[in-house]
Amino acid sequence: MPQNDKALLFRLREQNVEFVIIGGVCGVLHGASLVTLDLDICCRFSRENLRRIEAAVKDLHPRHRLTANKLPFELTNELCDSLKNIYLNTDLGILDCLSEVAGIGNYEQVLRQSVSHSLSYGEFRMLSLDALIAAKSAVGREKDLDAVRLFQAIKEKREQQKELF
Amino acid sequence: MIDAATLAQMNGEYVMPPDAGPAWRAAAEYGFDMSLVEDALRLTPEQRLEQHQRALDMVLEVKEAGERHAAK
Repeated sequence: MPQNDKALLFRLREQNVEFVIIGGVCGVLHGASLVTLDLDICCRFSRENLRRIEAAVKDLHPRHRLTANKLPFELTNELCDSLKNIYLNTDLGILDCLSEVAGIGNYEQVLRQSVSHSLSYGEFRMLSLDALIAAKSAVGREKDLDAVRLFQAIKEKREQQKELF
Repeated sequence: MIDAATLAQMNGEYVMPPDAGPAWRAAAEYGFDMSLVEDALRLTPEQRLEQHQRALDMVLEVKEAGERHAAK
């Protein structure tokens, strides 16, 4: 199963999905030397925005990866109103969409604690380094606390060298 | 003649930068290869994502090879 984060991000941007990059890819964008096997985003769980996500991945054979029968990702209004998270397998890899982030809060709160960065294929928002540290600390698993050590070192380096991002 | 310090670096010893603060030192002592972080911080976020994609492709390739081998 490939994992092409750039292609997934491009598709989300193309469909104007409202989202913030969180998790490992966010850490990589901040400079962490980690390898992460999925793309995690926090997004607005409105019907409209969920339909945009559906449009972004509809030709990628999306399936709810945590359901026993790997159910296809096919939204109804009722389902849109019930979902809190969406964990997908697609032909371009894993895309996990969360409505809230531990230690931060819901999408609006995540958005407020995000920073914007321009890549060649669009403008994207990702959690600020401080917010990423708060989120990973709140989850508290060993691997998250390991990552926090690295993020704190990067934060310290950035405070010393203001030109760094 | 290669001095002992250079030889140690050739063998993988990390030289702590003079401006390394407590968090940087703690991460290095914890076992992170901070030379990789130094390299990543010299890149733009987009270059970091591309570098990550290359590393990820390699990880997944090795994982698939392992699975193929196990299936034999």
